[in-house]
Amino acid sequence: MKKVTTEILVIGGGATGVGVLWDAALRGFDTILVERRDLNHGASGRFHGLLHSGGRYVVKDPVSARECIAENKILCKTHPQCIEETGGFFVVTPEDEGDYPDRFVQACADTGVPCEELSVAEALRREPRLNPRISRVFHVPDASIDGFQLNHATVQGAQQAGARILTYHEVVDLLMTGPEDARTVVGALARDVARGEDVEIHADLVINATGAWAGHVASMAGVRVDVIPGKGIMIATAHRLVNTVINRCKMPSDGDILVPAHTVSIIGTTDVRVADPEDLRIEPWEVSLLMEEGEKLVPGFMQTRILRVWAGVRPLYQAHYAGASRDASRQFALLDHQERDGVAGLLTITGGKLTTFRLMAEKTMDKAAAYLGQRKPCLTAETRTPGAEHGFYWLGHRLREVEDGRLQNQLICECELVTRGMLEQAARNNPTISLDDLRRDVRLGMGPCQGGFCTYRAVGVIHEMRLADVLESDTETSSWDMANVQSPALAKPALQAPPAENAASADGLYNPNLLLHDFLQERWKGVVPIVWGRQLKQEQLDRLIYLSLMNADHLPDEALKSPLSDFYRFDVTPSENTEAPHA
Amino acid sequence: MRKLLVIGAGLSGMMAAITAARAGEKVHVIATGMGAQHWAAGAVDVLGYLPGEHKPVQAPFAALSSLATHRPEHPYVLLGEQRLRQGLAAFADLTQMLGAPYYGATELDENMLLPSPAGAARPVFLAPEGQIAGDMSRSEPYVIVGFHALRDFYPMMIAENLRKQGHQARAAFLPIETITARRDFSTVTLAQQLDDEAVVVRFASALKRILKPGERVGLPAILGMKKHRAALAALQQALGAPIFEIPTLPPSVPGMRLFLAMRRYLENDLHARLDPGVTVIDSETEDKHVQWVVSETSARPLKHRAQRFLLATGGILGGGFHSNHSGRVWETIFNLPLSIPQQRSQWFHPEFLGPQPVFLGGMRVQQDFRPVDFDNHLIYENLWAAGGALAGADAIAERSLEGIAIASGIAAAQSMIEA
Repeated sequence: MKKVTTEILVIGGGATGVGVLWDAALRGFDTILVERRDLNHGASGRFHGLLHSGGRYVVKDPVSARECIAENKILCKTHPQCIEETGGFFVVTPEDEGDYPDRFVQACADTGVPCEELSVAEALRREPRLNPRISRVFHVPDASIDGFQLNHATVQGAQQAGARILTYHEVVDLLMTGPEDARTVVGALARDVARGEDVEIHADLVINATGAWAGHVASMAGVRVDVIPGKGIMIATAHRLVNTVINRCKMPSDGDILVPAHTVSIIGTTDVRVADPEDLRIEPWEVSLLMEEGEKLVPGFMQTRILRVWAGVRPLYQAHYAGASRDASRQFALLDHQERDGVAGLLTITGGKLTTFRLMAEKTMDKAAAYLGQRKPCLTAETRTPGAEHGFYWLGHRLREVEDGRLQNQLICECELVTRGMLEQAARNNPTISLDDLRRDVRLGMGPCQGGFCTYRAVGVIHEMRLADVLESDTETSSWDMANVQSPALAKPALQAPPAENAASADGLYNPNLLLHDFLQERWKGVVPIVWGRQLKQEQLDRLIYLSLMNADHLPDEALKSPLSDFYRFDVTPSENTEAPHA
Repeated sequence: MRKLLVIGAGLSGMMAAITAARAGEKVHVIATGMGAQHWAAGAVDVLGYLPGEHKPVQAPFAALSSLATHRPEHPYVLLGEQRLRQGLAAFADLTQMLGAPYYGATELDENMLLPSPAGAARPVFLAPEGQIAGDMSRSEPYVIVGFHALRDFYPMMIAENLRKQGHQARAAFLPIETITARRDFSTVTLAQQLDDEAVVVRFASALKRILKPGERVGLPAILGMKKHRAALAALQQALGAPIFEIPTLPPSVPGMRLFLAMRRYLENDLHARLDPGVTVIDSETEDKHVQWVVSETSARPLKHRAQRFLLATGGILGGGFHSNHSGRVWETIFNLPLSIPQQRSQWFHPEFLGPQPVFLGGMRVQQDFRPVDFDNHLIYENLWAAGGALAGADAIAERSLEGIAIASGIAAAQSMIEA
C-alpha cells in the first residue's frame, strides 16, 4: 500500500475544502486534499451561481448578511475572473405585500449591505423583461459567480503554493491512535475508486470539509455530527433572460432568485430535507413551482426554452435543530472535536454557503494553526488567484481565442466554443474518468444540444489521445493561457499514477463506448424532468444521432460500468416528497 | 385543375409529391425547411429492432407479424406487407431513375449490417450504392480512413469497435489538405470539393499509398455532392478496391444528395412546385372539409388553397407537433387528436437509449391514411397524413423511420389520387 505523509489532510473537494487547501498552502503548511469524485461534484458545482450581497439574509440572519457582504467584496478582488458583477435587484411583486420592504431597507442599513432604491421605470429600463407590475426595486451588489471556475482558480492558487490533490480518492476510514478515552486522528485511508488501490495518508491534522457528508466522515472517528441535507433544485433557461440578479423582496422562500450565468439564466431553488445527501431526485412539483415563480419575476418564463435542471444538497448544521431546513441557520459551524468530543487531530467545517467559503477556510485554518502550534497568518484575503489578471472570463474570451487561433474547424462543442485543443489539454491535465469531469473543466455539452453533437466528438478525440498508434497528427495545439478555464486538478501530478497502462485496454476506464454511454446518460438525467417544447425536439434529434445513426445502443462492451454509471442513472423510484410540503 | 398541397418536404412528403405528380396531379409542396433527410443517415431503415429485443431483425417482412403484436397501431399494420413492399420497390426504382441508386442485401428481403460512425452494426434495408461495400457479411478487412482535422469522424473508434465484433479492421489518416485548403471545412464542403475531378484524382493517389491489398476502404460520407457517382466510380477504379461511405453527424451528405435528386426531379421533370421557408401555422375548415391552410409571413398571413391536403410535417422532430411544460402535445396546424400521453410523467424511459413513449404516439389514421379521431371517425374528407406524424411507431428506436416515410407517403398519395 502506498503511504503518504503530510501536515494537513483536507477531505472534500468542494468550495470549502478547496478554500481550506488554498489557505493552508498559503500559510506554508504541507497539505493534501482528497475528493472521492471530481472537484466540484457536490453542492459547489450544483448551485445557482449567486454570489450573495447579503441582501437575502439581512432580515432573517444578520450575521450571515454581514459575512456575505464582507466576503463579496474580498472575492471580487481575489477571484475577479470567476465573478460577473451584475448587481442585484430585490423587487416587490404584487404578491409581496406587507412591511417587508421597509424592514429590508432598515436591515440593509444595519448590516452594511449597500442598498439603493430605484424607480420602477429605471429598473425596467435596465431589465426590460422584468414584471412591469412590480411596485418597488432595490439595488444591491449581488453578483454571478462561476462555481467551476472559482474552485479551479482556488485550487490552482493552492497548487502554486505547493498543495497536492487526489481526486477519485474516497476516504474509507480514518486512522486513529491512542487509548479509548484520548483518541487522536492521525490520517485517513483513501481508496482510489478508479483503480481500486488504497493509499494511507498520515497527517498531523485532518480537516473534514465534506459538506452534507460531514456526519458520515465524522462517524469514522466515532464522533456525531448532525448535518441536515437540504436539497434544492435549479432550472437553467436556454437564454440569458436578465443581466441582473433578480430576487423577490420577501422572506427567503422557493423559486425567488433568478441569476444570469454566462449565456443562461438560472432560477432557484427549492428546499427539501432529504435523508441521504445523494438523493438528488427532482420532483415534478419542484419543477412546476419554479416555473410558476419564474413567471412572477419574468412574464413569459413558462414559454421560454428550458435547458436543464439539477439538484444540490446544502449542508445545514444545527446542533439541536429539527424544523424546516429553510429556517435552519445558514451560518457555518467549525467543530473542534478535541474540545467537543475528546478526539484530537480532527476539525469539521460545515454549513455556511459558497459566498463565505473563504471566511470558513480562514477560521478553520486559524484553529488548525493554533492546534499545530504554528502562528502563521491568513493570506487569502489579499492574494489574487491565478488568472485574476484576465478579468471576468466569459464566452467572448473564447470566441476571440477561437477566431485568433483560426480554430473554427476544431470546435468540438459549438454551443460552448470548446476547441479540440482545450479538450485535449483538459484531458491531459485532469485524470478524468468521465466526460462529465471535462464538462466541469471546459463546459463541454452544457449548451442547447446538451451533448448531442459533442459527445461523439469528445469520445473520439479522447480515444485517439489514449491510443499510442496515432499515425500522424495535424492536430493544432493550443497556445493561449487557459489558466482560468482549465481544471488544475493534478496539473502537476504529485501522487497520481499516470493513467497510462490500462488506458488502451478494451475494458479499461477509457473505453470509448463507456465514455459515450455515461455522458449521454448524464446529460439525459438533467433533461428528463424539464424536457418539453423545443428542447423535446432537440432530444429527438439527439436520439436520431445516437440511435439511428450511431447505433450506440448496440456497441460492444455494453456491460461495462464506471464508478459513476450508477450515479448517472435517472432515479425513478418514488420518493416520499411527492407534493410540495407547503402547497 | 384540382390542386394537391403537400405540407412538409421530408422523405414522406417528397415521395407523396413525386407519386402524385407522376400520376399527373398538380402538386405544390410547402415546407418550413428542407426536410429531415438532412439529418438522417441517408439510408432506408425498414425495421431494425423489434420492441424490447436487443438482437437486430434479420428479415423485416418476416418480423411484421411480431411487430403487429407489440404495436397494433403501427403504420406497417395499416399498410400491410404488400403495400410496404410495393412502396420500397417503387423507391428503389425511383433512385435508379434519379441516378442515385439504392440497393438491398444480396440475400433477398434481409437487412444489411453497415458500420455506424461509432463502429456499431446498423441494420439497414436499402442503402445508397456508396454504402453497400461496408456490409459486415462481406469478408474483406476494413481500413477506415479519416482526417485528424475532421471533428465528425473517428476512424480509430470505428476500427476498434469493428475488431471487437470480430472483423479485421484498422484505422488510417490522411492530411485534410489532400482535399481542401480551407480551414473552416465541414463534411458538406468536403463533399462539394470532391465534385471536382482533379481533387478526386489527388485524393485517390493519397489513398492508394496507405491501402493494403485485399482491403476495403471506409470513408466519411464526403465523396461528392452533385457528382457523387462519378467520384465514387473514379475512386473505385483508381484504387481497384471496394470503397464505402460511413454517414456522419448531421448535416448528412447522403441525405442531402437524395433530397437534391428528388427535388430536381420533382421541379424540373414533373413541374411540381416546392417552396421551402413556408411555415404553416393555421387552417380554415368547414364541416369535414379543409378550405385552406395559413402560413406565417412577415406581412400578413398567406392562404394556401387546395382541394386535397397532405400533412407530412413530421412529429416532434419535424416540428409537426409542439408540446409544453404542462404535458400537452398538439398538432400545430389542425389540432388533430394525438395518441400521446398528456402527462409528462409518462413520456420517458429512465435511459436515454431506451424506448421513449412520448415519441410512440401520434396521429391516428385509417387504411387510406386520412386522420381519424379516437372513435375512428374520419376528421376531414380531404386531409391525409404520412410519415413521422403517424401514431404507433417509435421509429427511431425501431429503425423504421424511412420505411414508414416512404411507404406511407406513397400510400397516402395513391389514396389522394383516387379521391
